[in-house]
Amino acid sequence: MAALTATAPARPRKLLASRKTRVGILYALPVVVYLLVLFVYPIFSTLLLSLKNTDGSLTLHWYADALTGVNLSVLFTTLRISAETAVLSLVFGFVLAQAISRLKPLWAGLAMLVVVVPHFVSALVRTYGWIIMLGDKGLVNETLAWAPGAPFQLLYNELGVVIGTTSMMLPYTVLLLYGVMRGVDRRLLAAAASMGAGRVTIFRRVYLPLVGPGLASAGLLSFILSLGYYITPALMGGPNQTMIATLINQQVTKENQWNGAAAQGVILLVLTLAGLLLVKAVSSLGASRKKRNAS
Amino acid sequence: MAEFGIAAPSVKVAGGKSATATGKSLSVVALRKTYGDVVAVDEASMEIAAGEFVTFLGASGSGKTTTLMMIAGFCEPDSGTITVGDRDVTRLAPQKRNLGFVFQQYLLFPHMTVSENVAFPLTLRGVPKAEIRKRVGETLEIAGLSGFGGRKPRELSGGQQQRVALCRALVYRPPVILMDEPLGALDKKLRDQLQVEIKSIQQELGLTVIYVTHDQEEALVMSDRIAVMRNGLIEQFDTPRELFERPKTPFVADFLGAANFLPGRVEKHTDEHTLVRLDNSSGLLKARRHQLASGTEVKVAVQPGRLRACASDDGFCTGTVETATYVGTLVRAGVRVDGGQAPLLRLEVPAGRGPVAGERVGITADPDDVNLFAGEQGG
Amino acid sequence: MMELRKTLAGRIALTAVATVILLFLALPIVVILVTSFSNNAFASFPPEAWTLNWYKALFADGSKWPAALSLSALVAALSTVFSLIIGVTAATALTRSELPLRSAVYALVLGPLVIPQIVTALGLFLLFEPAAMLGSPIAIALGHTVLASPIAVLILIATLRGIDERLEDAAASMGAGRLTIARKITFPLAAPGMIAAAIFSFITSFDEFYISQFLSSVDTVTLPVQVYNSLTFEIDPSVTAVSAILIAFAILALGLVALVRWIGSGRQDSLLSVENTVGVASHGGEAV
Repeated sequence: MAALTATAPARPRKLLASRKTRVGILYALPVVVYLLVLFVYPIFSTLLLSLKNTDGSLTLHWYADALTGVNLSVLFTTLRISAETAVLSLVFGFVLAQAISRLKPLWAGLAMLVVVVPHFVSALVRTYGWIIMLGDKGLVNETLAWAPGAPFQLLYNELGVVIGTTSMMLPYTVLLLYGVMRGVDRRLLAAAASMGAGRVTIFRRVYLPLVGPGLASAGLLSFILSLGYYITPALMGGPNQTMIATLINQQVTKENQWNGAAAQGVILLVLTLAGLLLVKAVSSLGASRKKRNAS
Repeated sequence: MAEFGIAAPSVKVAGGKSATATGKSLSVVALRKTYGDVVAVDEASMEIAAGEFVTFLGASGSGKTTTLMMIAGFCEPDSGTITVGDRDVTRLAPQKRNLGFVFQQYLLFPHMTVSENVAFPLTLRGVPKAEIRKRVGETLEIAGLSGFGGRKPRELSGGQQQRVALCRALVYRPPVILMDEPLGALDKKLRDQLQVEIKSIQQELGLTVIYVTHDQEEALVMSDRIAVMRNGLIEQFDTPRELFERPKTPFVADFLGAANFLPGRVEKHTDEHTLVRLDNSSGLLKARRHQLASGTEVKVAVQPGRLRACASDDGFCTGTVETATYVGTLVRAGVRVDGGQAPLLRLEVPAGRGPVAGERVGITADPDDVNLFAGEQGG
Repeated sequence: MMELRKTLAGRIALTAVATVILLFLALPIVVILVTSFSNNAFASFPPEAWTLNWYKALFADGSKWPAALSLSALVAALSTVFSLIIGVTAATALTRSELPLRSAVYALVLGPLVIPQIVTALGLFLLFEPAAMLGSPIAIALGHTVLASPIAVLILIATLRGIDERLEDAAASMGAGRLTIARKITFPLAAPGMIAAAIFSFITSFDEFYISQFLSSVDTVTLPVQVYNSLTFEIDPSVTAVSAILIAFAILALGLVALVRWIGSGRQDSLLSVENTVGVASHGGEAV
């Protein structure tokens, strides 16, 4: 096949190209139809519902509702808690990934296991674990019993929620950052040192620019994922930690207020998509930087 | 081909076809393939006899692999026909062509043992179990792999894996076996050894083999005939000896013989010879008789091994030895020809009688070893 | 980045901080496992005495857990089947054919993994509520498949990409038809990936909460919804035992996937390598 690299695709399997296209369409059909009916169409009807008055006419007042008063403060709470979670899981994730990337393979494997296993345990269960641990008679307060002011209030406030969501997001950031760090050519750091750069300079001028885009994507991703979180804030937070997902849930299951829920769902969707666009912009920035380095 | 006689005594004299020949003839007529504007293969035609070992030789992009893929059916020609025996297979799917194919990457099925791999094509053909066992055993024995049947491919070395791949293509006696640089991933020593083995198996079983390589030496060692390909065209399709001694184009002379080229003009003809006056040289060069009009501008091509150093006034030109490198049995010399801007003339002479650097020499060659190409022929 | 000159103090500090973070991840799980055997199932740690009462209570008369468990198992089994069908066909289309609008199809597949699940759940609620299908196990399974099938597709794409397509060419050159190639070559080589896809689809559905909650009715409550309800409304100490079982189940599933990968990779790398664990994670990394 080597003979063809200049003139043709590496694998000249052009035979019956049209048949391959037909087979492709046939095989792609189930997933496309399924997701169009059960994913795209429902989201589309959510959008429609959010724009409809009870009498069927078009309106924006569900959005006006969602962006005023209590609902607006819920939105701000959501953004605040998500931001706190993103920052904390990024910092902890960075440190842990850094440590793991320097461990011997066996220890690194074990540490990764501790990261990966919780990731696959239901968030509900892990949240319950935190509730047990952070209660007045829980492990944490028992351990800190000697401290003045104990027992501490660790549950049903923002501290509790952020502890919970951070632990849910941490596996993502560790896995993402571990991958980014493995992609850094360590010889570049040695090269910088050989030119007389100090540690701080190497970290700031060489290492951070290399992992920067990865850090930004990981942070953004945990922010986006936190936005739609429901279980942890609902179980570990107080009334002041109500997040947008909780509100959607309440409106549907308790108040039969579907239009309002739909509007809030669309707002959540738009925030998420905006975040995803940002992730994409950051990663293409990273890619172009890498390309520039290579050339 | 003397080395075959020594290395593999069982091999019959080259050209003498085995009585039990299983191979069939194959013919390709005006085969053409384009990718967009690029012509990958341009009107290739050839007749390959039953039991013949034919090599497509060329550099990357020459069209040799595309031609092979079209014969195999992995790639559809734009036009032309491919016939195996008397069966037109041009538009058949690969699985309907009943050919054998040996890939450079071996492509053994990783989930099957060696025996299962070799048995696979027989199972497809509904051969009874006992018969399969017998034929797999025989084939593995031919390849020197008896006792490896129960192993998984990944437990074998590269050379062993390629032997298994060979067995898998042999075992169902396909009328033609296609090989796409099968030794390309192996080291030199193993390659030399397997070249001999493949050739000996091919002759013993009378197989028709089409072999693709970019390695000239490999092509010369193994082939009954070689098709030298360039830019989608077959430059010359001939026996190794003809290609080497009587190249039809400067490209072939250069590609196979690494010939020296000297510019000149046809002066006159005698009964047996054509005399050429070289540019910037007073001497006349004697070549075997070529059909070229007097006054034609020509390129003179002589391989380094066919040039000889002689007393300075005996040769067709004179020069100064600039380099002389001892490479074991040979000395490679570079001679600066007087009065010319031509690159160094490369000579290969037996060690011991070799010239030394700085020596003044004449250059001569047997007229029969001198090839002339009319000036307009591209090189 | 400081491996140029590792200082002892730096290493100790980093190791200590990393250990604390690992504890942060592991402790909630360990605490549940321990507490499920404690005589006081609520928020007292470490336990004063040991008991199996909570596990026994799961199957006591009038317990809601067996029904929730069997519903979840049924739903997960259904969506595993759906996801595998969708996954195999879609991955074949995306890796083994010339598909127009390939990147659009790919984006559609990734969609459910990046869109907030509460939004997907709301949409599905709006779809199934008018059809009077709330509480139907089929509806819940169809909903879960929206989340599980993309994971199956991604795993199977990776699996098929990992199988040299030319092996299929090699088989074709020997005369194998397309069906034979699929049966004798592609399927055996893809089997570990298919098992992994099945396990991850199952566990995704089994643990799914949002869609289940929106689509459940009073009579049909999946296990996670029952856990949530007993954490918010009823006081049922058996929830600790259920949680412990769910943890064991997740670990078992992960172990199985790691084992299958290990066997599939020809035992070339160790069962406990970073690549293996990370690979396992990326297999189903999108599952929340």
